[in-house]
Amino acid sequence: MLECRNCGAGAPVDEHFCPQCSRILALGRHGDCFTFLGLPRKLLIDPQDLERRFRELSRKFHPDYFYNATSAERLASLERSSYLNDAYRALKNPVSRIEHLLAIEGLPSARSEEGTTKVPPSLLEEVFALNEELDEIRELREASEDSDRLLVRLANARKPIDAKRDEHERQLQELSARWDRLLAVSGVEGEPATAAEKRATLDALRERLLERNYINNLLATIEREVSGLQAHASRRGATVSPNS
Amino acid sequence: MSKVVGIDLGTTNSLVAYADNGRPVVVRDDSGDALVPSVVSLGEEGTIYVGREAQRRLLTAPSRSVYSVKRFMGRGIEDVEHEAALLPFRVAGDPGGVVRIGIADREFTPPEISAFILRELKYRAEEHFRERGDFDFEVDRAVVTVPAYFNDAQRTATRDAGRLAGLEVLRIINEPTAASLAYGLDKRNRGTIAVYDLGGGTFDISILKVEDGVFQVLSTNGDTHLGGDDIDRLLVEQVLAEIAGPKEQDAATVEAIRRAVIQAKWDLSDIDETEIRIAPSPAARAGFRRPITRVEFEDVIRLLVERTLEPCRQALADAGLQRSDIDEVVLVGGSTRIPLVRRVVEELFGRKPHSELNPDEVVALGAAVQADILVSGRREMLLLDVTPLSLGIETMGGVVSKIILRNSTIPASGREMFTTGVDNQTGVDIHVLQGERELAADCRSLAHLHLGGIPPMPAGLPRIEVRFQIDANGILSVAARELRTGIEQTIEVKPSYGLTDAEVEQMLIESFEHAEADVEARLLIDARNEAESVMHATERVLRRPDFAALAAEQLEAGERERIDAALAELKAVIAGSDRVVIQEKTHALNHATQHLAEVTINRTVREALAGRNVKDV
Repeated sequence: MLECRNCGAGAPVDEHFCPQCSRILALGRHGDCFTFLGLPRKLLIDPQDLERRFRELSRKFHPDYFYNATSAERLASLERSSYLNDAYRALKNPVSRIEHLLAIEGLPSARSEEGTTKVPPSLLEEVFALNEELDEIRELREASEDSDRLLVRLANARKPIDAKRDEHERQLQELSARWDRLLAVSGVEGEPATAAEKRATLDALRERLLERNYINNLLATIEREVSGLQAHASRRGATVSPNS
Repeated sequence: MSKVVGIDLGTTNSLVAYADNGRPVVVRDDSGDALVPSVVSLGEEGTIYVGREAQRRLLTAPSRSVYSVKRFMGRGIEDVEHEAALLPFRVAGDPGGVVRIGIADREFTPPEISAFILRELKYRAEEHFRERGDFDFEVDRAVVTVPAYFNDAQRTATRDAGRLAGLEVLRIINEPTAASLAYGLDKRNRGTIAVYDLGGGTFDISILKVEDGVFQVLSTNGDTHLGGDDIDRLLVEQVLAEIAGPKEQDAATVEAIRRAVIQAKWDLSDIDETEIRIAPSPAARAGFRRPITRVEFEDVIRLLVERTLEPCRQALADAGLQRSDIDEVVLVGGSTRIPLVRRVVEELFGRKPHSELNPDEVVALGAAVQADILVSGRREMLLLDVTPLSLGIETMGGVVSKIILRNSTIPASGREMFTTGVDNQTGVDIHVLQGERELAADCRSLAHLHLGGIPPMPAGLPRIEVRFQIDANGILSVAARELRTGIEQTIEVKPSYGLTDAEVEQMLIESFEHAEADVEARLLIDARNEAESVMHATERVLRRPDFAALAAEQLEAGERERIDAALAELKAVIAGSDRVVIQEKTHALNHATQHLAEVTINRTVREALAGRNVKDV
């Protein structure tokens, strides 16, 4: 419960304005971006609906409209606007939306450092192949091998990683849809069965996110190699041209 | 009810506007001019001149005059040293501290100089409301605009300037966003807008989405040191290189050259060829004339103009948009009158930019709209702006940990946990930075915070939550709490390039003292002018060819002697600094000459009538 600082009435924690005196309520400890925006904890959301909710609540909370209000209301407006902006940002992006869901469902963060340094088992094969190829390309570059040919090899090395990433996007999409289905039935059908299934879905989502972070790091490594080679090539081009 | 205005505090020009029944109107002087040159000059007798008069004094008293002070707002001496060489005024300050501007024996911080400009605008608006017949014409609150890419220190400096000028700054809004608000008024359109704002000293690009009256900024980027001033400097350097003579040019010559190249720059927006013309002066005896074509001009400034492209591309990328997603491009700022700038913008976005509204006035109009929204409670429109730079804190090894990312919608907040490193440690120091780079050394230092009053505990046990809040002005505030005990921590903020509250208070007190001195100086000048005009009028009568005849016919005995005596007494005091004595002696002379004035006028009228009679007959 929240207590209205104006009239002292009690208000449910998800209310923005006091049901009694309709003044803006001070922001309590609020950790759920979905309910703040009046949404169920679904992962596949309509971006236009989200945006409309954001605009509507902005019009209700924004400090511009509390210029003449009491200092307590001005503070409440500032805090609610800030929270709204953060919540909108968190839900707008599909990946940060999943991360937020995992957090409020009590799972450890998928962003933690260990997740990115340990090779996920499902990626072992790809990572091994890529590292070998990268080592070889670096050696050849030291030996002044033609940059264009190395760039082609890098592009080829990237392909399986890209494919993995696409597959992951698909899986995230599927798991999200499954979560939403479970959420819809959990109220109607037998709790225990869906609770276990929900947990399994969340764990799978978390796994995919960890792998996704790892894949993104691999892609970033390839990008660095590419730009290194390109810079190398253009430097060589620059030193050659005055003589020609 | 006292009045609220919108102010565009520009690098080159400033102006003030207000909303009349929701419609924004710019305040103009009697000649229809809305622009107040952002120039401040300190007179020998202590008077502060602002605007056109100060601009004139740039030629006659360059070392006592300051322009483009906006470039120094919230900056340190190490930021501006490279450009100080060509400026007529002294730029000083301790490394790592606020810039100080020296005029004669006085020193000013940039907010104080800006406050003089704001005071002039406040005065102009009050005069306007008074002449309109408003009972309460006092202007005590304002929305002031800043470049979107201004950092926290620059915004805070602007707010301090408002305070020093006796204005409550209701809101600081970004110039490109303000411009979009002014445009949105006419069109009520929806869609995605790019606002390209190239002013006298700064460049901004903002991408906005407009829907249901909500103006939501998606991304912003820019350069707070890129504008018309830089174009002028390139041309001045070119002319200096061509002029034969001593390499060290005096301030007056540089100022004369600056004027000439600015005129040529303006010309070349309309015609293909002109001349940089510098009149002969004691400093530059021969004068200088040099033809310049638009093509030549464009070659000189091309690289500079192209520096605006990368921020535009970055803003598009940050908004997650392609250039084809942009529905409208709006031009703001005087430098967008340059044809090359228009071409470059058109090429980049692939569409013809809008410039229906005067690019010099559109920002002030938008500020007036925002001021109206704040005080009237009108809800048709809402601005949702972003913070242009990421906010972070320095961590181990000088690396920056980001807490609020750039282009986050404001107000925005972030939290960070801290603990202690040794047993019973009661304080923690935090270095707050702004910028996109990884290392603290490459980011902008905002402030050093000292958290105090941590309850004594073993090392690592306290859990101190620090909350960073960026308000709707884009200005940061910080609060901290130890979570185990719930004790609020005290925070001392030492701004890196700003004034402390105590310093602003002190300046406010000094400015009141000086304000009295300034008013006194102005009154003294007025008294002298009045005395001089009475003296001249009297002497003119005494020199009349027919004065002897007139005196013989009409003056009483001793009258001439009384007049001569009063005249001599006034002459003796007029150069002095006692205003009251000057006024007394002026009054005495007026009194002594009253009868003379009457008879002179009668005689003149009689003669005029007589003459006409003769002709008429």
